[in-house]
Amino acid sequence: MSPEERSSIDDIIDVYKRDVDRTLIRQRFTRTVEERLEDLMELQRFAEELRRAGRRAFESDD
Amino acid sequence: MTDFKALLRALTEGGVEFILIGGAAAAVHGSARLTRDVDVVYRRTRDNIAHLATTLMPYQPYLRGAPPGLPFRWDAPTIERGLNFTLTTQLGDLDVLGEIVGGGGYEALLPASSLIRAFGVECRCLNLDRLIEVKRAAGRPKDLEALAELEAIREERSRP
Repeated sequence: MSPEERSSIDDIIDVYKRDVDRTLIRQRFTRTVEERLEDLMELQRFAEELRRAGRRAFESDD
Repeated sequence: MTDFKALLRALTEGGVEFILIGGAAAAVHGSARLTRDVDVVYRRTRDNIAHLATTLMPYQPYLRGAPPGLPFRWDAPTIERGLNFTLTTQLGDLDVLGEIVGGGGYEALLPASSLIRAFGVECRCLNLDRLIEVKRAAGRPKDLEALAELEAIREERSRP
């Protein structure tokens, strides 16, 4: 992309891009499409479990 | 929790013509970001709308975020008179979109999609370049981090 074509959005994306874990991306390239979607479901389950744990903790604090 | 496997299988086995977009498509391309719903662009033909209606009906689609008890019916007339639907279903959250900003409808996106195979079925998924373009066009601040990752994926793919 030439400098004339760039916008401030590109600059923001570049800032975020510095923090992207590229080792994680390379690791995911070794997974099949199905495995990538299964990983996503596993991540969902993990996030949901954390949410439940958080709710339980806050409820017991009240 | 959204059952990606069951949703993709149901849509495909129900004969629905659709293209996977959004966070699930990003995951297909290698994104590690969490997404909670499945986004698809469906073909706006009468036959396909009928397939979409009958395929999802058993899973009790309802408008996500709407108060319970509204007289919402998931059927072909509702889909024909609407366009984009954000739904909850018994299989999880599903966005069925007739058109997307910056991408248009099914026919416009079709050349920029590829067949993927997962969970014993084949379905179409939007290509990485087009996915980046439509996410950019959406212009949502929350997408900027996702865009950074997608662009990094593209760069990593093109590395020798």
